Amino acid sequence: MSFTLAGVGLTHANGFTALADVSLAAQRGERIAVIGPSGAGKTTLLRLLGAALRPTAGNISLLAADPWALSASGLRRLRSHIGVVHQAPPLPPRQRVVTAVLAGRLGEWPLWKSIASLIYPADIAGAREALARLDLGERLFDRCDRISGGQLQRVGIARVLYQRPDLILADEPVSALDPALARQAVNVLLRDAEARGATLVASLHAVDLALAGFPRIVGVRDGRIVFDRAAAEVSETMLHELYAAEGSELPTLAREPRQAVAPVDGGAVLTGARCR
Amino acid sequence: MNAGLPLRDPAARGRATALIVALVVLWPLLVVAEFKPAALFDAQNLRVTGNFLAAFLPPEAGREFLGFLARATLETLAIATAGITLALLLAVPLALLTTRVLAVAEIGPGPGQGRAAILHHGLRVLLTVLRGIPELVWALLFVRVFGLGPAAGVLALGLTYGGMLAKVYAEILESGDTKPARAILEAGGGRLQAFLYGLLPGNAQELTSYTVYRWECAVRASVVMGFVGAGGLGQLMDQAMKMLNGGEASTILLAFLALVLAADAFSGLLRRQLAAAGLRHRHAGVGPAGGGVIAALAAVVLASFLFLDLGFAALLTRESAQLIGEFLGAFLTPDLTPVWLGKVAYGMLETLAISAIGTLLAVAAGFACALPASGRLGRYAGQSSRFVLNALRSVPELVWATLTALSVGLGPFAGVLALALHTTGVLGRLFAETLENAPPAPHDALRDAGARPLAVFLYGTLPEIAPQCAAYALYRWEMSIRMAAILGFVGAGGLGQLLYFELSLFHHAQAGTVIAAMLLLSLLADAASARLRRGMAAG
Repeated sequence: MSFTLAGVGLTHANGFTALADVSLAAQRGERIAVIGPSGAGKTTLLRLLGAALRPTAGNISLLAADPWALSASGLRRLRSHIGVVHQAPPLPPRQRVVTAVLAGRLGEWPLWKSIASLIYPADIAGAREALARLDLGERLFDRCDRISGGQLQRVGIARVLYQRPDLILADEPVSALDPALARQAVNVLLRDAEARGATLVASLHAVDLALAGFPRIVGVRDGRIVFDRAAAEVSETMLHELYAAEGSELPTLAREPRQAVAPVDGGAVLTGARCR
Repeated sequence: MNAGLPLRDPAARGRATALIVALVVLWPLLVVAEFKPAALFDAQNLRVTGNFLAAFLPPEAGREFLGFLARATLETLAIATAGITLALLLAVPLALLTTRVLAVAEIGPGPGQGRAAILHHGLRVLLTVLRGIPELVWALLFVRVFGLGPAAGVLALGLTYGGMLAKVYAEILESGDTKPARAILEAGGGRLQAFLYGLLPGNAQELTSYTVYRWECAVRASVVMGFVGAGGLGQLMDQAMKMLNGGEASTILLAFLALVLAADAFSGLLRRQLAAAGLRHRHAGVGPAGGGVIAALAAVVLASFLFLDLGFAALLTRESAQLIGEFLGAFLTPDLTPVWLGKVAYGMLETLAISAIGTLLAVAAGFACALPASGRLGRYAGQSSRFVLNALRSVPELVWATLTALSVGLGPFAGVLALALHTTGVLGRLFAETLENAPPAPHDALRDAGARPLAVFLYGTLPEIAPQCAAYALYRWEMSIRMAAILGFVGAGGLGQLLYFELSLFHHAQAGTVIAAMLLLSLLADAASARLRRGMAAG
């Protein structure tokens, strides 16, 4: 799915400007990594692209249409083509993994099928196939509160794989995984996007992970785009400048602190070094 | 699991079994509860109900009637106040005697431990009996000794609430920090000293707050007790209903709602003041403000007793002593013939069926109201559904039962509807609160992935709220079992109808069996819900 942001800004009701004057465009099938220090506006950028937040300035066009000019059902149809991998997987703790994965296609299924699937899972094979790509096939019938945080984050990825969206938005999708699993999970996303010609935008904290797999890198700091280059053109100097506020060392997979991720229940979800 | 094998959901068999078991259990319950919604739309019933409801407007506002109404309202308040006072007099010594941390013999264990244990368990059994028999049953019995009027209501409240207060007081005292009391006992202090210096300072606020809350419940209970002739608004309401006087009924209902809301607000205000007072600087001792409050309370209590002009002296006459003796004798030798036991067992089953079906209906209706009430369908829908829920909740089950008995005829189905109406109000509010507190992330994620609103609810919100809602439903079911046992007093089936009937025929031995069955049911409900709640807390 192609998208265009033109002079987009987002200022919250309390006066805080999360993004200002962002212009960014992508063709169908592009794979983009968004990097930058904590609080730079990466999550906000992805939420704007997912039509989950409405910008306060500028224009957004997804698949050549302004999502906020569509009718309610038009917006719903558009959103069913967008899949989001959340940093904290938004999965109810008492839901089973199979149901959580199948929920990826709720936007596509007719209502009767959504209800019937609660009584007997509609597509066990499909859910298992998506989970198997992340080595989780055997956790199919476990409850979400009975698996580890790293497994839960991969269930969130499997849901989007099962959804087969045209635009994949991944917000720090591997923050709870160890380096080997993180590389594997990002590669699964990259291969899936490439195979289906889907567009992939992922925000990543580990710079080496971004540079290794993504052809295009967008650097964000203080709510603005600092650079937008092909991976080969990104220099050490540009990166140090981007992360100047975080010290002299660049965040990489090996140095990145793991985050604890739990199924969503009540208030606090994330505990870890970069909790905002 | 091999990838080549066809995949099956391992939970499917369990789910199918549970569904079949539920249907197999539900079907006889529906039959026993005489569940026949068609009765609601029966032309004859519709006409009677319609005429009665049409007469609600305009409410009766004659000067003479309003005079009666004001007197009855005052009487209701006085019954509640006097009843709570009696309950306190009963509960404080009982609570002190049943609180284990106040027993010096428990230390060691020391001398007299066996005697202390016997006293402790004996009194706990007494408390269970006192609160296990509903206040309405006590009231019904006392009306037979004292005749119609408030005395029966005051005594009934005193006994039931005395049992309840004593149990909860003991629980509060044992749940906090008990080391100060123990230190006093170890230093040679007595039970009362250990209480006053060791437990009271830490628990005074909670104890007072709970007592105020119970007073609020007593106001509601004393309205309801009027239906068996124990004075106050309820008695007036009963007369208006029996004469199908819609105008009077609607005025009384309005007065009743105003009274309940006022008691609710007043008790809330008092409890907030109490909580705030705990944070302020304290005087040594009671202090001038505290002294004023105590004097005012004493004046109100005295005024209540004087206003009611209770003929407790009648308790002491030879005639009533003989009557009470006869009663006790009859109830202690209940009718245990197989035929009668079978009838009572069916009454218990009917009571269970009424409570189960009523609660199930309320769960469904409560959910339907909770969705708009939680503000998910816009502000206007939210406000109007909250209003409906409040109205349903403020009318007690027994008052609903007098109305439903009119619209579907006497029998268990009227009880089902009455329970369902009141419980919908309670559960709807609790469900709405649960919905508002549900974590939004799963819901938002599915909405942003283009799922339909109903699918978003089923996949994103329902799994989050289901355990809490189930716990609320179970808790209400427990209350409904107790309530279903007495709805029969106005003709809505179950054990209550049996008891009312036998008492009017002076069949005291048979009535004794029914009361024993009510006690048993109440104990079973207690035990079952405690077990279920423990099970749910475990996972």
